[in-house]
Amino acid sequence: MIQKEILHKIQKIHIRTNHLVNDIFAGEYESAFRGRGMEFEEVRGYNPGDDIRDIDWNVTARMGHPFIKVYREERELTIMLLVDVSSSGLFGTEKQFKNELSAEMASVMAFAAIRSNDKVGLIIFSDHVEKYIPPKKGRGHVWRVIKEVLEHRPRSTRTDIGAALHYLNTVCRRRAIAFLISDFIARDYEKLLRITNKKHDVIAVHISDPRERELPDVGIAELEDAEKGETLLVDTADAGLRSAFKNASEKLFQERLHMFRSAGIDCMDIRTNAPYIDAMLKFFRMREKRL
Amino acid sequence: MIRFAEPWLLIALVIVPLMMLYEWKRAGSSRIRFSSLELFKGLKHSRSLFWRKVLPVMRCLVMCLFIMALARPQSGTRTTEIITEGVDIMLCLDTSGSMNALDFTLNNKRVNRLQVVKKVVNEFIHGRQNDRMGMVVFAEEAFTQCPLTLDYGVLLSFLDSLEIGMAGDSTAIGSAIATCVKRLKDLKSKSKTIILLTDGRNNTGTISPATAADIAKTCNIKVYTIGVGTEGEAPFLVDSLFGKRYVYQKVDLDEETLQEIAQKTGGTYFRATNTEALKTIYQQIDKMEKTEAKVKEYMEYEELFAYFLIPGLCLLLAEIVLANTKLRKIP
Repeated sequence: MIQKEILHKIQKIHIRTNHLVNDIFAGEYESAFRGRGMEFEEVRGYNPGDDIRDIDWNVTARMGHPFIKVYREERELTIMLLVDVSSSGLFGTEKQFKNELSAEMASVMAFAAIRSNDKVGLIIFSDHVEKYIPPKKGRGHVWRVIKEVLEHRPRSTRTDIGAALHYLNTVCRRRAIAFLISDFIARDYEKLLRITNKKHDVIAVHISDPRERELPDVGIAELEDAEKGETLLVDTADAGLRSAFKNASEKLFQERLHMFRSAGIDCMDIRTNAPYIDAMLKFFRMREKRL
Repeated sequence: MIRFAEPWLLIALVIVPLMMLYEWKRAGSSRIRFSSLELFKGLKHSRSLFWRKVLPVMRCLVMCLFIMALARPQSGTRTTEIITEGVDIMLCLDTSGSMNALDFTLNNKRVNRLQVVKKVVNEFIHGRQNDRMGMVVFAEEAFTQCPLTLDYGVLLSFLDSLEIGMAGDSTAIGSAIATCVKRLKDLKSKSKTIILLTDGRNNTGTISPATAADIAKTCNIKVYTIGVGTEGEAPFLVDSLFGKRYVYQKVDLDEETLQEIAQKTGGTYFRATNTEALKTIYQQIDKMEKTEAKVKEYMEYEELFAYFLIPGLCLLLAEIVLANTKLRKIP
């Protein structure tokens, strides 16, 4: 993609998500991911309307007129965005491909993080880590992160979530909030997920497409596995096959959710056929309630 | 018999493997990318998938049928007319009692003269093409066993059914020649030939051999004469009071008369003392009477392309309909 197009795309996402980030879940995000506590910042003169509870009586007595203590919430969170760019994301039957949606999700997270003055880092991975941007603050940095996410060309088609988590553990010594944005079509990552969640706060952003859950009746179709390249002729007119597929996928998704839950990982269920705002809000509220 | 009028068009059949290759390549070129096929593993697939895979094969089959229809398959079973201008040959065979003499051998076995004659004449008939041949059998009387014909099958079967004594016991060479002449005289053919085979002396009949030869000459008929029998004495198998035994009798062959007949009519006289000699003689006659035959053979061919084209069209139709309805594949 040309630089200009990328910029245009970022701007579009920015405009679209600005309202979202600043208004709809401005507070939600902050309360969902709180820092370690309140930190004293300064003492200033009382203005009418300030909370009487905050008045610092010692200073008031010494100075002769009222002063209040001002606290600042200690945030300084580190947000790590782990974005899966494997080929299984090159699929989507609604408005967007799953990979495009992942990129947009990453952008939204980055914008939300920068608004709350958090550090944002990026790990782009397929079956290996393809790109790493260390966490930093600042608007310019966020734009760079988003640009990288959008313009990245995957070098491999496969997925290895474990490799990405392992990399995260090695590069990120401090506790971070890790958004793992993936469709989780991978194997043998459960153990590392559990280990990583001990050190960091892992949030699974599960991207899926309705066709992965249920097949439409379109007759015979030749399908190609996006990651492995295998092809398969499938007769979707066969009701038996469709229901069997539905059951199998249902089982798989349930198992995955169960695994997340048992590992203590929060999951954001993002689908290509539904607006992600709802899923995000639901997720933030859930976090808020728990904290 | 089925043949192709334009068999070179069958070269186009090489298209079929190429087509199969193309279909096979094409089958892999368009498909829908799906995130993961893991879920399909272990699912039971329906039978229509099999038919879907058969479709390209059907198309190739259609191509085969069309190319074969293009090459114009014909059945030429009906032969209507064969006009030949060969020679007319009357085989004149002696079946008198003396043909029973066992002075010939066939495959190292002693057999009577008639059997040897049958064998050799059989080979002679097989060697000819497009010549009309007939057969006259004589002994005491002479009669036509088979009129002139091109149907050698019939002739051979008549030859096979010859028996000694079927026309009597004595020898009427004159009558035999006369019968042959009667059969040949009215025909307009380039060459008329009688091959007279005998082993005895004219001792009966109303026409003398010399007269008969004259008639033959008048009718422009060539007579080849063959005298059969060893020199001296020949063994005969005779049933007597003491069982079967060989009796030697003197061979009574009237060579002078035969020579005269041949000479008069422009033929040749041969003497066969054994099987090999007899064979050689017939081979010689065969060579002498070789003619260039113009064969006009009218074959009526029935065009059979419909039997290829119609099933081909039906298959094609079925393939197209199926490929676009029940077995339609996306993309």
